Formats: sequence, C-alpha cells, structure tokens
Amino acid sequence: MTGDKVIVNDQTVWEASPETGLTGLYKELGLEYPKFYKMDQLSQAAFLAVELLLQAAPALKESADDGVALLFANAESSSATDARFRKSYEEDRLPSPSLFVYTLPNIALGEIAIRNKWYGEHMFGFFPNFTPDFYMATSEIMLQQGSEAVIGGWLNVRDQRDVLVFVLWAAPQEGAVRLTEATLNNLMHID
Amino acid sequence: MVYIGAETIQSPLGWTITDHFEKLQSGISGITFAEREGWNQSDVYLSKITALPGTGKLNTLFRTAIDQLAAGIDPGLLHSDQTICVISSAKGDLDADLNHPFQALLKELVTAYQLKHAPVVISNACVSGVMAINYAAALLASGKYAHAIVLGGEVISQFVLYGFQALFAVGDRPCRPFDRSRNGVTLGEGSAGVVLSREASVFKEKPLQYLGGASSNDANHISGPSRTGEGLYRSVSKTLQRANVKPEAIGYISAHGTGTVFNDEMEAIAFNRLGLEGTPVNSLKGYWGHTLGAAGVMEVALAMQSLRKELLVASMGYSEPGTTQSLTVLTSNQPLTSPLFLKTASGFGGCNASLIIRKI
Repeated sequence: MTGDKVIVNDQTVWEASPETGLTGLYKELGLEYPKFYKMDQLSQAAFLAVELLLQAAPALKESADDGVALLFANAESSSATDARFRKSYEEDRLPSPSLFVYTLPNIALGEIAIRNKWYGEHMFGFFPNFTPDFYMATSEIMLQQGSEAVIGGWLNVRDQRDVLVFVLWAAPQEGAVRLTEATLNNLMHID
Repeated sequence: MVYIGAETIQSPLGWTITDHFEKLQSGISGITFAEREGWNQSDVYLSKITALPGTGKLNTLFRTAIDQLAAGIDPGLLHSDQTICVISSAKGDLDADLNHPFQALLKELVTAYQLKHAPVVISNACVSGVMAINYAAALLASGKYAHAIVLGGEVISQFVLYGFQALFAVGDRPCRPFDRSRNGVTLGEGSAGVVLSREASVFKEKPLQYLGGASSNDANHISGPSRTGEGLYRSVSKTLQRANVKPEAIGYISAHGTGTVFNDEMEAIAFNRLGLEGTPVNSLKGYWGHTLGAAGVMEVALAMQSLRKELLVASMGYSEPGTTQSLTVLTSNQPLTSPLFLKTASGFGGCNASLIIRKI
C-alpha cells in the first residue's frame, strides 16, 4: 500500500478515495468481519494487507495453526493512534480506553492472529528505515525453529500509507523468488 | 551454547543488581503513594524514580544499565563488530517526541558507546523484554553475532497511567499479584541489562546458560487475556521443548503476575495445564511495579541472581490464594532446589513469551 494505491504482485488492485479510505477496500473485498471497524488505522492496514496476501498465497491457509510467524516492523510505532489518545485526555478531558488499547504497534499482530487463529511466533520491531537484514536474519531463525512460513511486514500509516507485506517460505514455492537484500529492497522500490 | 550474565537493574530501589537483590531479600518495595498524580488528580501508587528528572530519564536509565553491565564483561565487547544491541521498550520516550519515541535514544547510544551495528528495538508490549532476550540468543545461535547486549527500559508517563486508569486496570493499593484481594496493576519505571555471548570467557563472573525460549499469540483478544491461557501454554510448551527440559526440572517460575484479576487467573490456568502448579512461583511486580517493556529484562536479571545465590524471594503483596487453580506462590524467601528457572510474560495484543535459563 503506497499512498492511496493498493498493489498486489505489481498489479494495482485498488485506489482508495479520500472519502472511503481503507473501508472502501474492506467493502470491495466483501469481508464480513465487523471487528474491522473497531481497529485503528495501523491494524486496519495490516489486516487488509494480510487478507490480500492470503488471496495471493492461499497455501498459507494450509499451515498448522502455529505454522505462520509474523515479523513486522515500522518507523513510527503506534504514533498515529498515540496522538489521538493523547488528545482524548489533553483536549477532550476523557482518556479513551478504546483508543488506548491500540497504542502499541504489536496490537496489529494480535488482530491478524485473531482473524486467522494463528498461535505462532510473532515479533514487532522498530527501525528508522526499512531494514532488509532484520527480515532476512529473523526469518531464517523463525523457519529454522519450525515455522512453516513467515509473513514479513513494514507498516507505516501516519503521514501516508507505506505498507508492505510479503511471505517468506522455508522451501521453494511457485511464484516465489530467492530471498536476498536486493529482492526486499526491490519490493520496497528502493534502488 | 549461549551464555548469559553481567545482569543489572535500575529502579527506585537502586542502581545496581546488588542493591536490588538485597532489598528484595529484605522485603523492601519501591512502590510509594503518589498523591494526586493520577487522572483527574486521583491518588495512585507508583514505583517512581524520583532521583532523576523526568526529562532525559529514559536515556539516563539506558546509559546507567550499559555502564553497569560493561563493568562485568570484557570492555572491548561493547564496540566489537561481533556484538549486537537489542533494546526492549514498549513506549520509548514518548513525552519527548510522540512521533519518534526511539530515535533520540538510539542515536545517543550508538554515539556514546561506539556501537558497530544499529540496535534492534523490540516493541512488543509487555513481552518485549523476554522476546528481546530470546531474539538475541537466537541471533547468536544462528552464528550471525557472537555477543549481544540486551537492554530494557521504560518510564512512567501520564499517557500510560491515564490509559491504564481508563481501562480500570490500576489497583487502589500497591499491586498484589496472585492474591485474593488483587485489583489491578501498579505502574513502575526502570531499566535492566544482560549480556549474552557464545564465549563464557567474556564474563568476569561465571555466566549462566540460556537454554531456550519461544513466543505464542493467544489469537483471542487484543486487550484481555485468554480464558484458557492458550498462548502462554503454547509458549512455555515450546520453550520446554527447545530447551529440552521437563517441567519437573524447573526450580522456579518468575511469572508475569501483573496483579489484575484476569491476567493472574490466566497464568494460573496455563501453569496448571503445564503441570507446573507445584513449582515455586513469584511475581516481582510487588517490588517495582509493572515496567512494561523493561519488565522482562528486569525480572530475568533478578531471577539470574536467584540462581546464583540459590535463594528465591517472596512474592511481594501475596498472602491468600486468589486464583481458581492452585499455584505454589512464594510466601517467604526459600532456598532454590533446582538450578533452572522459567520466565514468562504476557501482554496486550495477546502476546506471550517465555525462556529458560540454568546455572552451570
């Protein structure tokens, strides 16, 4: 998800309008998951990105319930929602519990785990910039420790959407390429 | 083999690991009454470091932790290109910069200690500390690095305090983990550090051995613990398997024990499912409150001292059983009977993590 564009395997599948934002994509996908409306922007983006990933890589659905590891990171933590929560007590004089529960970036991983009933390994990291080495080193560990696949994620939504999810497999898969620093940078369109 | 040592803790109880073990052994807590510091000038209890000013507190805590642990290791290790630094914090310095809670800290640490690699920050709510140690150990085991410095740090903010109060999760007295009368957390602040290495020789004092760890998600609820303790059960099961340890070999469980009704109940259910109900268990949060992202590192550091000194400290705030399934909560200091401990943590987002360390 780059700005308003939603791209799957190099194909633009959706362009969000400012009015509907990600809710438009949710409706377009025909999902029936009312919890979506309770999520903050970070979780909504992560949720939809993984839904699209599952459509593109349905083999993930065949994994054991603890077979899919989640390895996400970003450069903004949960700051989009943090600002809203701070406003709730500083300006509105009523600290909002429903905003507070989203003031941790790893909540997005919880939402994905709940949606898919995934009990596997998970980790949320912080980096000032997209860091291929983090995904390479950590996915190697997760796969070696028994995960069947790792969903990698880079998840920023505060200023404009800058979201990338991808799946790393332990064994070669149709349509998959070999994982290198260049492959990951290429996915991020970093030359 | 992955060794772990050079543990250190900073909290209102002191600046060194020795300060902490002595105070805990004597039943001294850092939690004090904080008049009108809560939302709407409500009275709360906090474990607050008053010796440091609020501005720059987090950086000072991290620097103190590094300086302390550096005294226990080969001094060249900090700047070695074989060393990675893993940082654990849930909220960073959000009062300084809400949009960039970790940047200033990272910059300062890299410059001040001439770190060769950019630190990795693990921000996974209240399991961050345990997860950071597991991650560091896995990086060493994979051969990517030879040494790792793991630091955890968290400061009290109005942000977090008001949030927990809005959830009605803050107790009206100092927290009482696993006790019948428990009714919520007490927030705390502090830092801690441990060093992991593939080489025992880098430690000035004989290190302990890291045996294994894992994480698992409850896949159940983002802010409420699982009723069945599923994620914690799975995390500990995997940890036992990876460490190649049977439940009966565990001599001590350093639990998460926040002092909320539902968290402690969830842990009791999971420990019973694992056959660990007879293993001595405590929560250290009665001594320094809940320090979120720092909690795991602080509690592992103290548990390491318990192994070294072969003494388990009483679970502060506990007097009467308060979970539907029984646990062997430490009501007094007890000698250690088996030289392995299990550390567990659980947090928002349904996350759970655990690890096992043994004395060699």
